[in-house]
Amino acid sequence: MSKRWESWTGLVGLALIVGGHYVGLFVAPPEAMMGDVGRILYAHVPTAWVGLVAYLAAFIAAIGAMVTGRATWDALVEATVEVGLLLNVLLLIQGSVWAKPTWGVYWTWDPRLTTSAIMVVSFGAVLALRRQIDDPVRRLTLSSVATIIAFVNVPVVYMSVRWWRTIHQDFSSPETVSSAMVTPLRTAAFGMLFLATSFVVRRWRLGLKALEAEFEAPDLPEPVAPLRIEE
Amino acid sequence: MTGMIQGGWEFVWVAYGVTWGGLLWYAVRLRTMERES
Repeated sequence: MSKRWESWTGLVGLALIVGGHYVGLFVAPPEAMMGDVGRILYAHVPTAWVGLVAYLAAFIAAIGAMVTGRATWDALVEATVEVGLLLNVLLLIQGSVWAKPTWGVYWTWDPRLTTSAIMVVSFGAVLALRRQIDDPVRRLTLSSVATIIAFVNVPVVYMSVRWWRTIHQDFSSPETVSSAMVTPLRTAAFGMLFLATSFVVRRWRLGLKALEAEFEAPDLPEPVAPLRIEE
Repeated sequence: MTGMIQGGWEFVWVAYGVTWGGLLWYAVRLRTMERES
């Protein structure tokens, strides 16, 4: 399969992010309460949306891996969790930087922030778990189960601003965001989606190649005698 | 405009710098992995 389409997807994504960020930084009006600091919105919200989409894809891939036992799905679990985790870490840093001038602190144990931090730890644990297991079948099963368990928190993160009293702002949508801000926000969000898709597909190919090599590798012969350390 | 936070561009640049830095770092990492595979 040609690798060109994902390169073009990545480039289109990059162009859209540049355009969305440019308009958000230099053309869109300052936010009514937060002023220019509110411009972090155009980096933060697309990162959040696409990060959650990556985790949703990881959840679907984990179910696919559990049902079929195929390396294709297993490699997709690894790719989507990795890209989701990248965006999740960026999200927390952006949020902390934004929190300081608006809330007065870099971090507070608010429900949205706390559940987002749990998301980093749980999906980080999935990747750590994968690196600890050599047997590909066992790795597929355990990391799929871990991904499904980690995903339980994702809808909680999304709904946390509605379920609990929180200082984090409500969902960002055309109903809650000024029309002058919607276009750069959507542009940057589609850009992030395209770029993340390109990352996932490229990482998926790499993971699949590594898994296929693993399956094709001959098993090492059993040692004829236990290894001893001469004293 | 009363009550609007004034200034704070340094926070904006840090947030965008971290975003672009993170995306660039991952793109380079993928490129390196592709070359090594």
